[in-house]
Amino acid sequence: MTKRRNQGVRRGQLIRLHAANEDWLRAAFAPPRPPLDLARTIMDQLDLRFHARRFPVAPERLNVAASPAGITRVFLKRGGDQTPAVRAAGHIGKILEQAREELREYLAGERTFFTVPVDLSQVPPFERSALEMAAQIPYGEVRSYKWIAERLGKPEAARAVGNAMASNPVPIIVPCHRVVRTDGSLGGYSFGLVRKESLLELERRRAAYVGCATTKIVCRRGCQAERRVREGNRVSFVSFEDARASGYTPCSICQAA
Amino acid sequence: MLREAAVSRSHNSDESLFQQVQKGRRDAFAALVERYQQPAYGVALRLLGRRQDAEDAVQQAFLRLYEARATYDSRRRFSTWFYRILTNACVDELRRRRPMVSLEEWHEPEAEGPDHSVERAERERVLQAALARVPVEARIVLTLYYGNGLGYREIGAVRGTSMNTVKTHLRRGRLALRKALRARGMNES
Repeated sequence: MTKRRNQGVRRGQLIRLHAANEDWLRAAFAPPRPPLDLARTIMDQLDLRFHARRFPVAPERLNVAASPAGITRVFLKRGGDQTPAVRAAGHIGKILEQAREELREYLAGERTFFTVPVDLSQVPPFERSALEMAAQIPYGEVRSYKWIAERLGKPEAARAVGNAMASNPVPIIVPCHRVVRTDGSLGGYSFGLVRKESLLELERRRAAYVGCATTKIVCRRGCQAERRVREGNRVSFVSFEDARASGYTPCSICQAA
Repeated sequence: MLREAAVSRSHNSDESLFQQVQKGRRDAFAALVERYQQPAYGVALRLLGRRQDAEDAVQQAFLRLYEARATYDSRRRFSTWFYRILTNACVDELRRRRPMVSLEEWHEPEAEGPDHSVERAERERVLQAALARVPVEARIVLTLYYGNGLGYREIGAVRGTSMNTVKTHLRRGRLALRKALRARGMNES
């Protein structure tokens, strides 16, 4: 009799314990709040992939921030934010203006390099050196995370390079979109994978170098000298090597070499 | 704008919303993204452990969903189909990922915003770290069952297995999770 009652008590406790566990599990597994811009990013990518749009990233959605030393951030405006970009005065204002102009030209396929100064002084040393390495990848080409890791003398640090690219404060200007996985798949991108794909597609479509047939000088696309080359004299090159093989010398303004 | 408002105001079922997507209504798809982004993000985060990977997987899943819109049969349950695409996208990501994410990377101190309680953030951290020790299929089943409130039958349909297999994974998953929590000196109650 006593034994049976004890068993009953134990079973009751077990059921309560089980219920408490179930409650704990339900509470623990409750889906966390997604990032604020997730839905917006998904719809942007959808439009980009299925309803062809002119720009990989709409220039008016890009925002820039700067210190006196250069651009510190390139970021997407929050969904629905229609406020015009802040027009800072003086030196910083000039840097911001230059960055916006170059970004717009780049996104339209009219520019293949950036001249606006970049300030990475707030980025930790390893990440900074990884980003500086990424900045050397030529327009229209890609390298792997491992390639950067090896160049930095840390061949095992591919994943850390991936993290450095993911935390790139100045996407597009520092072209972390040109860094992909060793197996050729895209990896990640803070602006969304379709944008990464679409930036690379934009770069693939545009020859990076433009030469002038009369002067035999070759410029990177977007150089001020390149824009003065007349229509009939323009020659496009995919790489500088091609241009040199055809007897062209590099422009001293954009240092095409 | 007006059409967008009309969609979000009416209490459309997932299935009828998706039928509108099939007819080319972008706003219907936007409504579904709005509706499913949180549960989807939860699944992806539990399976992949890192926020950036979770975001990518959710984006991929929605794009695949849209791409395959013509193949959807509206007599079937939308959520089943969606969770199948989502969990497959996550499994693809896990397979491709080499080497596996180390345990140190799993718990993310900043996984929760400041609007969440300390207790909640701590629970999140503990769970994520323990989940890394649970086999993938059991992790999927645990997440869909406890996080998304799916029943055995639907989970079976999502993963293409029987109800009994689902129950087995659930039982194993709970045990593995409990073991991992104990190993970390945590008790789930």
